[in-house]
Amino acid sequence: MELQPIYIQILALVIFTIGLIVALSRRNIFFVLMGIELALNAVNLSFVGFAKTLPADMSVAGQIFPLFLIAVAAAEACVGLALVILIFRNRESVDSDNYSNMKG
Amino acid sequence: MTNLPLWIIPLFPLLGTILLGAIAVISSGSKKGPSEGFVGALSVLFPVISFVCVVLLAFGMPEEGIRETLCNWIDIPMLKVDIGFLFDGLSRVMLLFVTGIGSLIALYSIGYMHGDRGFTRFFAYINLFLFSMIVLVLSDSLLLTFLGWEGVGLCSYLLIGFWNHDLNNCKAANKAFIVNRVGDIGFLLGMLCLATLGGSAILNYEALNKFVEMLIAGGHVELAAPILMIAGLLFFVGCTGKSAQIPLLTWLPDAMAGPTPVSALIHAATMVTSGVYLLARLSRMFVLVPEVLLVILIVGMLTAFWAAVAGLFQNDIKKVLAYSTISQLGYMFMAAGASAFDASIFHVFTHAFFKAALFLGAGAVIHSLAGEQDMRRMGGLIKKTPVTACVMIFAFLAIIGFPGFAGFWSKDLILERLYTNAPFGEFFYFAGLLTAVITAVYMGRLIIMTFFGEYRGSKESEEHIHEAPASMLVPMVILAFGAVFAGYLWADSMGIKFFANTLAPVVGEAQSYSLGAAIHHVNALTFACFGTAAALLGMIIAYVVYGRARIPQISAKESSAPVGSKADWTFFFDYIHEIFITITKAAAFIADMVVDKILQAIQWTVGSIAEIVGDGVSTFQVRKVRVQLTLSLLGVAALVAVVLLTGGLF
Repeated sequence: MELQPIYIQILALVIFTIGLIVALSRRNIFFVLMGIELALNAVNLSFVGFAKTLPADMSVAGQIFPLFLIAVAAAEACVGLALVILIFRNRESVDSDNYSNMKG
Repeated sequence: MTNLPLWIIPLFPLLGTILLGAIAVISSGSKKGPSEGFVGALSVLFPVISFVCVVLLAFGMPEEGIRETLCNWIDIPMLKVDIGFLFDGLSRVMLLFVTGIGSLIALYSIGYMHGDRGFTRFFAYINLFLFSMIVLVLSDSLLLTFLGWEGVGLCSYLLIGFWNHDLNNCKAANKAFIVNRVGDIGFLLGMLCLATLGGSAILNYEALNKFVEMLIAGGHVELAAPILMIAGLLFFVGCTGKSAQIPLLTWLPDAMAGPTPVSALIHAATMVTSGVYLLARLSRMFVLVPEVLLVILIVGMLTAFWAAVAGLFQNDIKKVLAYSTISQLGYMFMAAGASAFDASIFHVFTHAFFKAALFLGAGAVIHSLAGEQDMRRMGGLIKKTPVTACVMIFAFLAIIGFPGFAGFWSKDLILERLYTNAPFGEFFYFAGLLTAVITAVYMGRLIIMTFFGEYRGSKESEEHIHEAPASMLVPMVILAFGAVFAGYLWADSMGIKFFANTLAPVVGEAQSYSLGAAIHHVNALTFACFGTAAALLGMIIAYVVYGRARIPQISAKESSAPVGSKADWTFFFDYIHEIFITITKAAAFIADMVVDKILQAIQWTVGSIAEIVGDGVSTFQVRKVRVQLTLSLLGVAALVAVVLLTGGLF
């Protein structure tokens, strides 16, 4: 049985949801970052899945694009981790709920 | 010397303004002020140079006039205006007497303004006025004329309120300015009307005349007539403002608050006649709409008659002359309304001489009496100030149209044209004749009360009465000569038509279009006889009523207004204006209630709703980053849901 595109999309949606829930529910800032990475990669998966539905000559773009995204996500992860380290030095905490300065 | 550029004429008064203005500003700190001789010489020099230029140009002028485009002024889409000058028969006449009389009055002012704190400032204004007036009459397009039109209005305002330490003078200046503003709106809207008809190029006089020719040649006069009529009426509103005709005439009697040379120059000889100038300039357009001409005729007649009657009751010597100016302007408008534009300009010309002479004479009288303007405290001055009296009497004979004097020729010409040209000519002729009688009565009253009988002022002031200095007498005498001889430039019954011929290239075609061939010829001598009879009758009435009557001595405190009225009373037109002002104020009050109160209430309501909602929403701004992130994601989800469900309608 050939892999149906809809299953890929469902998988991507599941991974995205997991990533989102992790990002929103965990207090540890590293888990939040990891959740975001997960959601991002779910989007990559979705890209490839959709690319599969197109004829071969047009699907290249959909396959190339995730590669770019992976590169960009790597850079973003670097920056994100650097920020986290700086915040940690400042606050002595990895709990994202402590990172608020707002009064409201 | 015909290759003089035209811009040199307005250049010199402008230079004078800048120079004198600079002197006035620099010397404002010092207590003594600049030397009066130096300032006076400068301020007379510039108008005189300008006058000489005009004379040189006037003699070398070709028949069709000189045109000169100086530079581009406005160049935007739909509106292209050049600064251009047009020196033709009409502007030649106007410029000659504007600069000529302007120079004479500047000379006179040196004596009159002697010792005044604002000596330099005064002459800076006078030069600025001459500059604006020259621009007004020399420009070749309506827009540049409008610039001059506003400029003379500004100078009128500045000079009426020249002695600005007195609040009444400031009020009079404001009144003149504001009433003129009403007229200026008419001028502006008239220009807009013309521009809607033929584009902005039509604002040029020459283009306008060509346009009118085209209309006549193509037989489209009927089509354009409605807009032309509106434009004509609006321009006439502008003229009524500037030339103090009904209904915008109340500012001129109040304008006498200014120094007397100003009254002579601006409010008698030059500025107030610019309305007549405009009518003559646009004569080609006006003759296409005879209805407007009829309106002008009626307004002119009413103004002439009403102002003459009002002049009978004035006690202030300058107010009498102010009403007389309004009345004479009414004559000019009557002439223009009868499409006798050359006659009306001729009356402008002669009137400039005799009215300036009268005003300067009145100024000399006021000067010799140390500021007294009430005629009830004058009398018998012919013995003390013989030269002034002679000048005034000559000018008096001119204004009432005594045979041989300037006013005789021009006024009889107007009356004759009224009879032959105007619709219902007989009626307007007799109205004009009746006004001439009243003119003679009130002018005779002025002369009798001022110069004859016994002196009615206080004893100690009688000893100080003195003849004016030479710098004041010389211009007066020259103007008196003008008042006697200016009429001979167009002595119709003697066959001299010099003046008519110089104006013919400008207004001739308009007049021949308006009249056609159906002029029934009449004996000019008959009209001359009637005019003379009117003048003599008026003089006799004046002598009988005022010559023998004992004029009651009055105390110094009493105001100079007619008996039983307020000091600033200018007959009932002020009350009519008051009604309009009240209506406007009521409208302003309603607008204030609606805009300010109701709209502001709505604005406050909306503002407070936003504030309450904002206060409520701000409780969601909790300290937890994750909660906020969740909320914003939910918001995005809601937005996406809305877009999907509504199909992306908004």
